[in-house]
Amino acid sequence: MAVSTGEHVLAPVQQRGQAALGRLGLPTRKQEAWRLTNLSRLEAVARMPVNGVATASDAPPCLDGVVRLVLDGVNDPLEGVTLPEGLTPLEPKELELALGHTLDRCGLSDDWLVEFNHASAQQLLALRVCGTVPPLEITMAAASGLIPTRVLLVVEEKAQLELLQVFSGRGEAAHSHLMEVHLGQEAQLNHGVLACADGVAALFAQLAVEQEPRSTYNFTSVVQGWSLGRIEPRVVQVDGQASTTLKGLAVADLEQQLAVHTWVCFEGPDGELDQLQKCLAAGRSHTIFNGAINVPRKAQRTNAAQLSRNLLLSDRARVDTKPELEIVADDVRCAHGATVSQLQEDELFYLRSRGIGASDAAALLLRGACQEVVDLLPTHASAWRPLERVLEGLAS
Amino acid sequence: MTSTSTRDLVSQPYKYGFVTEIETDKIDKGLSEEVVRLISSKKDEPEFLLNFRLKAFRHWLTLDEPDWAALGYEAIDYQDIIYYAAPKQQAKKASLDEVDPKLLETFDKLGIPLSEQKRLSNVAVDAVFDSVSIATTYKEKLAEHGVVFCSFTEAVKDHPELIEKYLGSVVASNDNYFAALNSAVFSDGSFVFIPKGVECPMELSTYFRINSGDTGQFERTLIVAEEGASVSYLEGCTAPMFDTNQLHAAVVELVVLDDASIKYSTVQNWYAGDENGVGGIYNFVTKRGQCRGARSRISWTQVETGSAITWKYPSCVLQGADSVGEFYSVALTNNCQQADTGTKMIHVGPRTRSTIVSKGISAGRSSNSYRGLVQMGPGAKGARNYSQCDSMLIGDQAAANTYPYIRSQQPQAAIEHEASTCRISEDQLFYLQSRGIGFEEAVSMMVSGFCRDVFNQLPMEFAAEADKLLALKLEGSVG
Amino acid sequence: MIRPDAELLLDITDLHASVEDQPILKGVNLQVRSGEIHAVMGRNGSGKSTLSKVLAGHPAYRVTSGTVRYRGENLFELEAEERARLGVFLGFQYPVEIPGVSNLEFLRVATNARRLKQNLEELDTFDFEDHVHERLKVVQMDPAFLERSVNEGFSGGEKKRNEILQMALLEPVVAILDETDSGLDIDALRIVAGGVNQLANANNATLLITHYQRLLDEITPDYVHVMASGRILRTGGRELALELEQIGYDWVDKELAAQGVA
Repeated sequence: MAVSTGEHVLAPVQQRGQAALGRLGLPTRKQEAWRLTNLSRLEAVARMPVNGVATASDAPPCLDGVVRLVLDGVNDPLEGVTLPEGLTPLEPKELELALGHTLDRCGLSDDWLVEFNHASAQQLLALRVCGTVPPLEITMAAASGLIPTRVLLVVEEKAQLELLQVFSGRGEAAHSHLMEVHLGQEAQLNHGVLACADGVAALFAQLAVEQEPRSTYNFTSVVQGWSLGRIEPRVVQVDGQASTTLKGLAVADLEQQLAVHTWVCFEGPDGELDQLQKCLAAGRSHTIFNGAINVPRKAQRTNAAQLSRNLLLSDRARVDTKPELEIVADDVRCAHGATVSQLQEDELFYLRSRGIGASDAAALLLRGACQEVVDLLPTHASAWRPLERVLEGLAS
Repeated sequence: MTSTSTRDLVSQPYKYGFVTEIETDKIDKGLSEEVVRLISSKKDEPEFLLNFRLKAFRHWLTLDEPDWAALGYEAIDYQDIIYYAAPKQQAKKASLDEVDPKLLETFDKLGIPLSEQKRLSNVAVDAVFDSVSIATTYKEKLAEHGVVFCSFTEAVKDHPELIEKYLGSVVASNDNYFAALNSAVFSDGSFVFIPKGVECPMELSTYFRINSGDTGQFERTLIVAEEGASVSYLEGCTAPMFDTNQLHAAVVELVVLDDASIKYSTVQNWYAGDENGVGGIYNFVTKRGQCRGARSRISWTQVETGSAITWKYPSCVLQGADSVGEFYSVALTNNCQQADTGTKMIHVGPRTRSTIVSKGISAGRSSNSYRGLVQMGPGAKGARNYSQCDSMLIGDQAAANTYPYIRSQQPQAAIEHEASTCRISEDQLFYLQSRGIGFEEAVSMMVSGFCRDVFNQLPMEFAAEADKLLALKLEGSVG
Repeated sequence: MIRPDAELLLDITDLHASVEDQPILKGVNLQVRSGEIHAVMGRNGSGKSTLSKVLAGHPAYRVTSGTVRYRGENLFELEAEERARLGVFLGFQYPVEIPGVSNLEFLRVATNARRLKQNLEELDTFDFEDHVHERLKVVQMDPAFLERSVNEGFSGGEKKRNEILQMALLEPVVAILDETDSGLDIDALRIVAGGVNQLANANNATLLITHYQRLLDEITPDYVHVMASGRILRTGGRELALELEQIGYDWVDKELAAQGVA
């Protein structure tokens, strides 16, 4: 139901998207947001044909009680699925009003990635969440060509949801994913993204979230193994007074380039942000973090803290980090910090002085560093063995 | 707030806003290759310097003005500026008694007395009026130690080989738009050379005074400290109030060899424009130091309170092993000022260290941005950086922005960066007031406390000045 | 206890070592036999802590000359983890926090690495849990600490007790305790000292590095060495510690001057 309506709704979006792409052209180094990106890989993705054939799934069986939806860019994800009470597809009229609303609130107009998705996506999953529903899992697998997917989630007042999105990628494939979330007052969303690939596939994922007052949004992302990976969570607290937690782990090895660009804006007072981004760069990889926090005049008593922790695991790897603060309201507590280092010598020595070999000690520390964020994924992520996947991806 | 609403307090007028009536030699407005040649000929420069200028000018023509800084300003019409204006006194006087008394009086009023009896005894001053050096005190005494401290123009005449060797070696003319412009049309500035093993016996200072409206100011300063040498240098500047904007595009180059050190302090008090942002100096400066030698050290300390628009990033390139770069800054913006300032610490050599302490104070409707770069290259094994950027917000209409760019390719280099914001809280103010401390003084105390780490780095005489300057600039802003 | 025919566990001869090119140890000579408890005392900067780090094999410290034989073997030919597995234990003055690494897991891995060298069977997760709960009693520690990350959020006293817990699990042959008493109140001190006494036996030895006398009220040393300027200046029995308590360390400067050393 949702997809065919979606097709209707998406047709004009596609047209506008294609026109916009023509106007914008490919991103260039002169644009701050793309200054460090491997543009030749970006171009390769832009030229990829849209995959018309569904990919066979190698997903583990999902846990009891979890609702799993598969997005392959082609087939109706809701076909043959009985949605539990509380989860309903959006009606066409609601869809028309809601689609693009959050993108606007998050300042995403004339954005290349958004228009790229607009131009390519043929499939839309739009759901409304009421009350407390069972955990939801949305899986997206790419094995050849471009898989453009789009999701719209409206979480009603006081509703609660645990959502896990799993992206996987193999070979010459790429994801272009765009997701909008509207959180009603006092709604609560625990949102995890687990995205692991084989070092060849690419991932573009944009997330726009608007939070009504007193809502809670906990977002955990674990991204690893993409030759070009870019994830952009953007959150706006439409009238402040909400709680936002953004925790991320980005692990890159070999020749991979992984970028995390976040943006959080408080359009009202008394909002809270707790953000931690960990980037681990091994081999000859490159990790990029850009974290913007915007606190305008009306956002008094905002409490925002952002920490960027970066580990360089080889002398051919590279780390770029730029935490940003833009603040006008004066009665606020806003701070950010960033560190770049290798595994701590003191910690390594402590473990070795207890008989643990040098490489085992390094492995223990790496595991600990990753575990801190991986443990925050929704509980049903355990079926996917996330920590093992991430550590396996660290060949060195 | 208290009964002494600061809206009732009148902002102290900028007391340096006067203009000195004096005959000036000016050329016509506009910039072209002829103008560049004219400037060079008026200064009677050798061939290498004319070529340096021409090469820079031709390159400037190919560049676009940068627009990435978070600044908004009316476009500068480069043809609507006079590129040379010098007070019409003859060649630099042998003795200060021969200097035009109006000029001496000007500097007196500014608190920089130049005459024998009144000058500061432990600071040598090079006084620059409208980009022309008119006097340098203590030159002979310094020469006894082998220290060369003179105007740039004199240095070209007396030490051309040093100029040729070092000019443009730290900031190449093609480095950026304003550096190219400056390299083409720079008028004067200071030159300092400290030979091997010499600790300069006095503090050196250059005082820039802009006098003519419509002129652009393009100073060029070059300081070289050979092996084991050290010097502390202070740059001060003021300008009259005009209601058009003036362009100040200076270039400062510092070179330190093995075990040498340079401490460069700036207390900037340009005219900032009135409360509505009319007038004021556009301050676009390229300052860079190269720690070429092992264990060398460069320390930038700045207190920025003036300028309508500030765009400056004093930087250090840390090449020598174990070299050290430091940046201590207080940047205050009020009314409609805009500042985009910070530093670049480029770590090239092993075990290099850098420290950045930046304090921004945003008041009125101003915008104060810290933009910095810390970069660890592959050769920076064992290098360390620590940065702390704090913003104090006064009122809820001013903006404090922090954009730290951090990049590293060396796992054995460690970078640590922190930034936080604060304000002058009512509770803290009330506490001080309940102990009998007046409102203005309480504000001043808290702002000073906030800036303590930076003021401690200023040469003693100027730390007190800096305190007063901030208090002055903030009057009328809290309430 | 002193027995002349006990095994020579640690034989330090003319040891010189530097950190960041700064010489700290300038000729240390020391012999530790099985069953003995030695106290090394001295002012800050005397090199006591450096001695412990050098024996444990900390990478920041460089041995410039001299030898150390551990049970006849050249200690410096062994990597830090090898030394630990063979029974050299360093109790750190400031145990580092390692967020994200579970205390229980860390203890199990370390214990098994040691057991392997002792020709004992490795303990699986369940057996180890029983084993560690037994050992917790030695330091009177709450089992809840096992669930936390290594030393994370531990108070000073809790960190020190975690060190002694590790001693109880690893059963070292030579235990070097670097200022284990610093920052502890009298109760915590008694627990730590009690643990050390419980673990000391005829087949191992303990080297206590301490600034103050009070630890030695709880643990009776066989030998007391006074260290200054990177060397051991004087060696005596228990009474020497009491003497230091009374007269302080000033005499050290005179003695150094007499020896013509800075």
